[in-house]
Amino acid sequence: MQQRIPLAICFIVGIVMIVQFFIPHRLSEQTFDLAVKWIRIITAFALVLGVRSITFRSIEKIKRQKKDWFYSIFTLLGLVITSVIGLGWGVKAGTPLRTIYNNIMVPLGATMFSILAYYMASAAYRAFRARTREATLLLIAAFIVMLGKVPLGTAISGKLPDLADWVLNVPNMAAKRAILFGVALGMIATSLKIILGIERGWLGGRRR
Amino acid sequence: MKIADLLGKIDRRIIFIVLTVVIVIPLISPIGFVGRLSPRVHDLFKAIDELKPSNKPLLISVDFDPQSMPELYPMLVSILRHSFARNVRVIVMGLWVTGVGLGEEALTTVGQEYQKEYGKDYVFLGWKPGVSAVVLGMGRSIKETFSTDYYGKPIDSFPMMAGVNNYRDIPLLVTLSAGDPGFNTVWLPYAQARFGVRVGTGVTAVSAADAYPYLQTGQLVGLIDGMKGASEYELLVEKAGYSEAFKPASQAMDSQSLAHLAIMILIVLGNVGYFLARRKK
Repeated sequence: MQQRIPLAICFIVGIVMIVQFFIPHRLSEQTFDLAVKWIRIITAFALVLGVRSITFRSIEKIKRQKKDWFYSIFTLLGLVITSVIGLGWGVKAGTPLRTIYNNIMVPLGATMFSILAYYMASAAYRAFRARTREATLLLIAAFIVMLGKVPLGTAISGKLPDLADWVLNVPNMAAKRAILFGVALGMIATSLKIILGIERGWLGGRRR
Repeated sequence: MKIADLLGKIDRRIIFIVLTVVIVIPLISPIGFVGRLSPRVHDLFKAIDELKPSNKPLLISVDFDPQSMPELYPMLVSILRHSFARNVRVIVMGLWVTGVGLGEEALTTVGQEYQKEYGKDYVFLGWKPGVSAVVLGMGRSIKETFSTDYYGKPIDSFPMMAGVNNYRDIPLLVTLSAGDPGFNTVWLPYAQARFGVRVGTGVTAVSAADAYPYLQTGQLVGLIDGMKGASEYELLVEKAGYSEAFKPASQAMDSQSLAHLAIMILIVLGNVGYFLARRKK
C-alpha cells in the first residue's frame, strides 16, 4: 500500500499532464493552471522541510561530534541569525540582512569564484600536455578560443575571433547538439519509466 | 636543476604571483585593448533598441548570485541603462534567491541615475519558490504568480502593470543566467518553447558554448557571452549616447586578455619542459 498509492498518483498525474499538453481545451488549461499552483505550494513546503532537515542533521552532527562537526555550528548560527534578522527587520535594501548580504555574502561569493581562476591556471599548466594527437588538437582549439575571446586576440590578428567563432559554431555545436539530443531522449525514457512504475528509485525502493 | 624540470615543474605559488601581477597591473594602469564587436551581442542590443516606450515592458530575470557578479552584473547595469535611456519600462525578477539583492541594487541605482519612478517606469518582483512552476505560471498570469511585488504591494496598484497579463504582453525577456535554473534549463523550454516569448540571454564565459545551438535555431534573439560580451554591450550603450558612466567590464578586459596570455605562456613552457624531459628518456 505504501508503494501502490504513490505509484498510482504518479501514473495518473503523469498521464494527465502529457494528455493536457496536446489538447488545447479549456478543461486542459484549467488542469494545467491547477497543477502549476500545486507545484508552487509543494515547493514552498519542500523549503520548510529542507530547513528542518538541515537543522536536525547539523544538531545530530554536533551531538555525535562527527567529522568536521564544528562547521555545523556555523551552519546553524547562519540559519538562526539570518532568519531572525530577516523576519524581524525584513529583507529590503537598508535592512541589517542586506548589510550582511552586501558585506559577507557578496565578497565571499566573489572570492570563491576568483580563487577558481588561480586553480584553473595552475591545473591548465600541469594537465595541458600535448601527449597524444587528440590532446594536441584540444590544446590548439583551446588556444584559438582563449585568444579569440579577448581583445588581445583581435590585436594579434583580426582573423582570430572568426576562427574562435568557427570552433564554437561548428565542432562545438555538433558535439553539444548530439549531447542535447541524447539527454532529451534519456529524459523521455526515464520519465516514462517513472510514470509506468518501472523506475522506483524515487520511492526509495528497487527497480522492478 | 635541469631546464626540463625547471619548465615542467614551476611552483604553483609562482603561477599565482604571475597571475596576480597580470590581473592587478591593468586594473591600476589600463592598456586599452580594443576588441571586435560580435554579432551576438549586437543582435541583443538591437532587439532592446527596437522596443518603443509605448511597448509593453521588458522582462529581466536575474538568475545569478554574487559568485558570477563580475561577469553578469555589468550586463544587468548596461541593459538597464539602455532601457531607461530609451524610456522602456522594465520588470525585474529572479530565479536565484541569492541574486535578489543584486537585482534590487542595480535597479534602484540605475533607476535613480535616469530619474525613473517606481511603479511607473519599473517594478521589482523579487523571487518566488517553484522555478519552473513560476515560469509556467507567468505564461498563464503574471499577476497570479506574483500577486505582490518584492515590497509586498499589490501588482495591480502599479500603472505600468496595467494590461500586462502574461508573456503575450512581454515583447522581450532577457535572462542573465549563471547556471541552473537559467536560460537553457527553464526559460527556453518553458517560456520560449511553450509560450513563444522572445528570449535573449547573458551568460558567463564558461557556459557560453551551451548557448550557441539555441542561437543558431533562433530560439535566442541574442547573446552576451562573458565579460567580453559585457564590455561590448557597455561600448554599444556608450556609442549610442545612452550612458557615459564608468564601464567596469571594459576595464577588466585588459586584465582578462593578459591573464589568458599568461596561462597560454605557462602551458607552452610546461609542454617545452615535457618534451625536453621525454627526449632525454
